Amino acid sequence: MAAPVLMASDVSKRFGPVLALRGVDFHVEPGEVHALLGINGAGKSTFIKILSGIIQKDGGRITVAGAEVTFRTPEDAIRAGIATVQQHPELVPDMSGLDNIFLGRESASRGLFSRIDQRGLERRAEALLARFPVALDLWQEVGRMSAVEREAVAILQAIAGEHTRVLILDEPTSTLTEVEREDLFALMGLLKAQGIAIIYITHQLEEVFAIADSFSVFRGGTCVARMTVAEAKAGDVSLANLMLGEAIGDIFPPRAETPPGAAVLEVEDFCLEGDFRGISLTARKGEILGIFGLVGSGCDEFAKAVFGVTPPDRGTLRLHGQPVSLRSPRQALDAGVFLVPGDRRTEGLVLSRPALFNVPLANLGRAAAGRWGLKRRRMQGDARELTGQVALHPPSLTTPASGFSGGNQQKIVLAKGLYSQADVYIFVEPTVGVDIGARAKIYALMRQLSREAAVIVISSDCDEVHGVADRTLALHKGRQIEPAVGTFSRDALLMAGIMGEVTQ
Amino acid sequence: MSGLQDMARQSARGLGFLALVALVGGALALAEPRFLSAASLNGIARHMAANGLAALGLTFVVIVRKFDLSISGVAAFTAMSMGAVIAAGAPLWLAVAAGIAIGAVIGLISGTAISRFGLPDIVTTIAVGSICAGLAFLYTGGRSIFQNFFQVGITDLNDARLLGLGVSLWILLAVYAVAWFVMHRTRTGMAFYATGENQVAAHFSGIATRRYIALAYVMCAICTVLAVLLILAESGNAETNKGANLMMPAYAGVFLGAAILGGTSVLATLGGILLITMLLDGFSLMGVPYYYSDGVISLILLAGVLAFSDTARGYLAGLVAVRALRRARSGGKA
Ligand SMILES: Nc1ncnc2c1ncn2[C@@H]1O[C@H](COP(=O)(O)OP(=O)(O)OP(=O)(O)O)[C@@H](O)[C@H]1O
Ligand SMILES: [Mg+2]
Repeated sequence: MAAPVLMASDVSKRFGPVLALRGVDFHVEPGEVHALLGINGAGKSTFIKILSGIIQKDGGRITVAGAEVTFRTPEDAIRAGIATVQQHPELVPDMSGLDNIFLGRESASRGLFSRIDQRGLERRAEALLARFPVALDLWQEVGRMSAVEREAVAILQAIAGEHTRVLILDEPTSTLTEVEREDLFALMGLLKAQGIAIIYITHQLEEVFAIADSFSVFRGGTCVARMTVAEAKAGDVSLANLMLGEAIGDIFPPRAETPPGAAVLEVEDFCLEGDFRGISLTARKGEILGIFGLVGSGCDEFAKAVFGVTPPDRGTLRLHGQPVSLRSPRQALDAGVFLVPGDRRTEGLVLSRPALFNVPLANLGRAAAGRWGLKRRRMQGDARELTGQVALHPPSLTTPASGFSGGNQQKIVLAKGLYSQADVYIFVEPTVGVDIGARAKIYALMRQLSREAAVIVISSDCDEVHGVADRTLALHKGRQIEPAVGTFSRDALLMAGIMGEVTQ
Repeated sequence: MSGLQDMARQSARGLGFLALVALVGGALALAEPRFLSAASLNGIARHMAANGLAALGLTFVVIVRKFDLSISGVAAFTAMSMGAVIAAGAPLWLAVAAGIAIGAVIGLISGTAISRFGLPDIVTTIAVGSICAGLAFLYTGGRSIFQNFFQVGITDLNDARLLGLGVSLWILLAVYAVAWFVMHRTRTGMAFYATGENQVAAHFSGIATRRYIALAYVMCAICTVLAVLLILAESGNAETNKGANLMMPAYAGVFLGAAILGGTSVLATLGGILLITMLLDGFSLMGVPYYYSDGVISLILLAGVLAFSDTARGYLAGLVAVRALRRARSGGKA
C-alpha cells in the first residue's frame, strides 16, 4: 500500500445544533480514484469544504503527504495541492469562462501591475480543453451559461493548477450529462495515470464500479466503511444498504396498473426558434410521461415554454381540452401547471429563506386569508406535513434553505410543488443530487401524484426516465423522437436521446 | 436551527437594541442635560416622525434589493408643489393629495424604468432626483413659499397633540403599523421579500416581480411626500432645500436597524431611525455644526453595521480567543 497523500483523522464539525461531522477518519493514496458515498446530509460536502479550506474544522488532524496542515482559506488548500470542484461552484457571473478559469493566476508574477498575458491565457485554455474536450464557448459570460457549462468551467478551473496532488469532485456528474460524463471519466483516467488522487462524490452508484478503485461510505457524519471496489465486488456488497444502514428494494415504484385516464395537457406543434420545433404530446391523468434528452436537446426550454416562462413562437396548448395561452408563470400556475425547475438554486428556491417561506410561495392564494392576511397556523401545518412527505432532513421549517444539503434543497422544491396542488406537474431533473433512499421516495410520490394529476418527468438520466415513466419519448436537438410502435426499451431510449435515431 | 433558537436569537438582538438606546440616551443626557427636557424629547418625536417616514419608504426599496437616491430631489419638488397648492388658496387635503399624486407618478417613472426597462437603479434615481431638484425651482424661481400656510392649518400637524403625543408621532405610528402588517403578515409582504432575495425564483413562483419593484419605488416616493409634509408643518413654509437632510438619516436608519435587528424589516427601520434621530438631535443640542453631524452619523452607521455583521463578530471572537490563549499559555509558564 502506498503512503496516503491525504489523511484525515477524527475530523469534526458542528453547525449550531447540527453535528455535521463526528470523528471522520479518511485517507486516499496517490493515483487512486476514491468514491465518497453517503445519503443526503451525511456530511460529504461539509468534509470536502474542510479539505478545501472553505470552512474550518472544529477538531481533528489533516495531513497532506505526511505533514499536518491547517487550511484557513481556499488558497491554503490550493497551495498544498488540493484542487476542488464544489457541489455548487462559485464563479464570477460577469466574467467569461476563460477569465474565471485563470482568475487569480492570470500571470506568473503577482505584482499589482503585472500585465495579463491574454495570448498566453488562450494558449493555456486550449491546452486544457485538449485534456478535457467539452463543447464549450469559453469566451461566453458565465452568467449566460447553462448549469452543465458552468460545471465544465469549474472542472477546467480545478485542473488548471500546476502541482495538484488531490483533485476533489463534489457531485460533478449530477449536472453533467452522458456525453460530458464520458469525457470526465477519460480525464480522470489521465489524471490518475499522473499519480493524482481523485476524491469523487456521486449518488450514481453504478459509476462507482465503473471508475473508482476504492470508496468510503459516510453515514450520520462518520465514515462507516472503506473498501476497494474489488473487495466490494468479491463480497457482493450492496452500496445502497451500506449508505442507508438498512436494506432497500427496487427504487422505482411499480408502473400504473390501470390504463391512463383523460388527457389533461395536450401540446400541439410547439416551436421555439433555435430551441425546439414540432413537439406534440399528451399527458394524461393516471400515467407518468417521461422525456429523455441531453442538455441542448431543448428539454429545459420546452418545459419553460409550457410553463409560460418563454412562451413558444408557435403551437397550441390545451388543458382539459380547452385551448389556453400561458404567457407567464403566474398564468401557468393559475391554470394548474407547476414546474419543478432544473436549476433549483436560482429558479426554485429563495435560499436565504426557510421551508416555511419557500413551500407556500408558488400558491400564496392558498396561504391567504381573504384579501389580506395569511393563515399562518394553517400554512405552518401544511408546510410541516409536506416536508414530512418528502422526508426533508433535518425536518426544520425555520432553517434557511441554504443550510440544507443539496439533495434536501430539492425536497423543499418538491414540497413547494405539492403545496401548489396543480393538475399538471412537470419535473425537470427531479433527482439531481438526491440520494438513493430519497429518490425512491420521490419516485413513489410522483406515482402517487399521477393518480390525481398528469405528471411529466424530464431528465437527462436515461435510467430515471425509463424507470419511472409509463410512456417515454426522447428529445434530440429540439426534435421529438418516438418509437415507431409500442414503447422504448431502455437502450432504444438512450440511442434516441443521444443519436437521434429510432432503433427498434 | 430550531424555532426556539431563532426566537432566542431575535430576543437577544432586541435586548441588545434596547441596551443601545439606553446607552446612547444616557451618554447624550450626560453630555447635555437638556437632552432629556420636554422640549428636546418633543423635538426628537417630531424629527423621528419625518425621518421615520422617509426611512420607511426606503425600506421597501431596500427589501427588493435596490437603491433610491432620488429622495432629496423628490422631497424638494413635492415640497414646492404642495407649497404652491397651499399658496393658491386650496385646502390642505388637496395639497396633500397633489403631493402624493406627484410623488406616486415620479416613483412610478423610476420604478418602471428600472424594473421594466432594466435601467440601473442608482443612475436612474440620481437622474430622476436631479430633474426633480430642478423642477422645484419652477414655481417661484427658488423663493420660499409661505402664503396661506397658517390659514390652511398645516402647522397643526406639528403642534396639535392627541392623548399626550404629537399628531406627527401618531401619523408615524399609524403608517408603520399598516406597513408592518402588510410586509410581515400578508402575501404581499412575502412577495416583496421573495422578489428581493431571488427574483428568478419569485418569478417562477408566479410573483409579478417587476410590479413589486415598481411598487417599492412608488411607496418610497409617497412616504417621502409624507415626510416632507411634516417638515413643512414644522417650518411653516416651503423651500427648495426642504428635505435635503432627509436622505442620509433614512439610509442610516434602514441599514443600522437591519444590522442591529438582523435583517431589513419595518421594525428594524423604526429602531434604526430612533437611534439616528436621538443622535442627530443630541448633536444639534450640543452645538455640533450640521456639516459634521452627517459625517458622524455615517461613521456610526459604518461602525454599527460592522459590529453587528456575523463575519466581523467572528473575527473579533477569534481575536479574543487568541488573546485568551496567549494569556493562558504565558500564565502557565509563569
Ligand atoms: N451552512 C450550514 N448551516 C447549517 N447546517 C448545515 C450547513 N451546511 C450543512 N449543514 C448541515 O450539515 C449536514 C451535512 O450536510 P452536507 O452538505 O455535508 O451533506 P452531503 O453529504 O453533502 O449531502 P448531499 O448529498 O445532499 O449533498 C446536513 O444536516 C446539513 O443540514
Ligand atoms: Mg453535498
